[in-house]
Amino acid sequence: MIKQYSGISPKSDLLLIQRLCKKLEGKSFLHVNSTREGGGVAEILYRMIPLLKELGIDARWEVIEGDAKFFDFTKKTHNALQGNTEKFTRDMWDYYYEINKKNRRKIDLKADAVLIHDPQPAPLVEYRPKTGKKSKNVWMWRCHIDISRPMPSVWSNLKKYVIQYDTAIFSVSKFAKSLPIDEFIVTPSIDPLSDKNRDLTENEINEVSEKFSIPRDKPIILQVSRFDRFKDPIGVINAYKIVKKYNDCRLVLAGSSATDDPEGEAILNEVKEYAGADEDIHILMMPPDYHKEINALQRMSDIILQKSIKEGFGLTVSEAMWKEKPVIGGAVGGIPWQIVHGVTGFLVYSPEGAAFRIRQLLNNHEMALRLGKQAKEYVRNNFLLTRQIRDYLSLWYSSMHRGENVIEL
Amino acid sequence: MGKATAPFEFKQCVSIVKSTGRKAKNLRELRNVIAKIGEESIFHHVYQYFLKGHMLEYTNDFAQWAGETLEERALAERMSCIDPYTLKSVNSVRHELLREIDEFLNCFPEPHDVVEGNEFYFNETVNLVFPVGVKTRNLAEFLVAIEHIDAGSIYYHFYDSRVRLGEGVMDDFSMWIEHTLFRKKIAEKIRAIDPFMHSIENIRECIKEIVEEHVRAEMEGVVD
Repeated sequence: MIKQYSGISPKSDLLLIQRLCKKLEGKSFLHVNSTREGGGVAEILYRMIPLLKELGIDARWEVIEGDAKFFDFTKKTHNALQGNTEKFTRDMWDYYYEINKKNRRKIDLKADAVLIHDPQPAPLVEYRPKTGKKSKNVWMWRCHIDISRPMPSVWSNLKKYVIQYDTAIFSVSKFAKSLPIDEFIVTPSIDPLSDKNRDLTENEINEVSEKFSIPRDKPIILQVSRFDRFKDPIGVINAYKIVKKYNDCRLVLAGSSATDDPEGEAILNEVKEYAGADEDIHILMMPPDYHKEINALQRMSDIILQKSIKEGFGLTVSEAMWKEKPVIGGAVGGIPWQIVHGVTGFLVYSPEGAAFRIRQLLNNHEMALRLGKQAKEYVRNNFLLTRQIRDYLSLWYSSMHRGENVIEL
Repeated sequence: MGKATAPFEFKQCVSIVKSTGRKAKNLRELRNVIAKIGEESIFHHVYQYFLKGHMLEYTNDFAQWAGETLEERALAERMSCIDPYTLKSVNSVRHELLREIDEFLNCFPEPHDVVEGNEFYFNETVNLVFPVGVKTRNLAEFLVAIEHIDAGSIYYHFYDSRVRLGEGVMDDFSMWIEHTLFRKKIAEKIRAIDPFMHSIENIRECIKEIVEEHVRAEMEGVVD
């Protein structure tokens, strides 16, 4: 499986992965998150686990189970950690803890390295198996969301669990907190071989264009994201409306639902209502496994937007960049880590800014081509799955050499 | 072309970024954290700046933040002129940075705060060094390798070497070319490349051009 990345990923990333897997051969690596489908975390784990297994690591992926009450609560905490004000009661926190306690009975937590993704399963650390000094396990908490300005009470409740880990991992520096444990920065990644990112034939692209009745007769502007206020779908429609006065184009808003996101449908309806009867606005709600369709939509588009006003990392930006498309992104969360303004895309701060850059790109084909090419190379060197696997293995291995800044392999 | 006895072994350094949890929202805070933060963090923000791969306006993270975020461009220009490779230690770099900031603060004592989220975040790194499985024994092999090697390997041999090997040593490439291949002229040309004025990809091109010229001259029977 790793050989399939040869010629796509940087050679040194593949070499380092192989070297580290030799060093860690036979050891176990457990990942736990809260959804099998939908969202960037599940997509990455879906590819990463078999790849690690092939390289001799005993890798496992477990998903915690919860009911609607649990996921309503974790959605609220998700929003509150990203800065929204929400109401919480002590009972809600107790329920959150109880659900994790129940999951602990179903999930075997014994592993040499454990990586817990996001706040939903964070309390599992309370059930961390005891080990001796020589066979010490490593527990890492991976935070995929922007918690730079959280609702203080929510962060303080979550922090009780986080500080019990050996290491916390954040997607960008500004999400990191001042904690008494090691904190690393690991940017997330996309898989260039997945259905969402692999090369497609022109026929495959046309099939999707027909399937969703999107004629390819005028430039297509696309935003792919969950229907979520933080992705600012209304702002995208406003940008489109400004552009439309000067340049004819279509707008496609495509999103999928995730089992841990109960708000999606309400926002989708709001967006549909705002778009009105404009035949050039296409709003698509897709099942979470429509990866090839998303890929085709990105490839048939001329410009791709990720106009978030709050973002974790915003992997759809890297996905679009990988397809050599000029991307316009909100300057929030991890988006500025992917878009080097004017080099690999444009950063904007308002619907008006997005509209201006769309018009600029629609009128300057050479600029659109140049940004797209540079964007693809930037993703190749920084945001492919193999780099993220390399980083997780490096972190695990470096935890066995604590205190050393330079580790020779 | 004679075979060299000791081959050049290409290595690479991969850095995993570690947060120190410290940040600064204005110039005075930046100054105070620079004064106290560990050497590893200064090293990362100054010496490892070139790992980023694209040419930005200034030559280290502190200058970049001062220029682009604080919009204090005169200070950024002065901080960019600090050459870490001519200074004896990371602490000397720290003192130079502090000297520039203090001079600036003497003239403009009330620094403004940046908006939340645009603070300077102090990081450091854990570095993994490993051979990439490429060894070259002569100039022609070296030329092929330099063309295809990952950018991280060029960083390791061209930038990191200046700190790793101590005072007076420039880069691994010219050391090997001079002391193993005995081609002093080529080594001197490589040493003349200004490390601050190029991206890593530009450095690759510069080295390639220099070596290519000599390999071609050799094939045509022209002696240095």
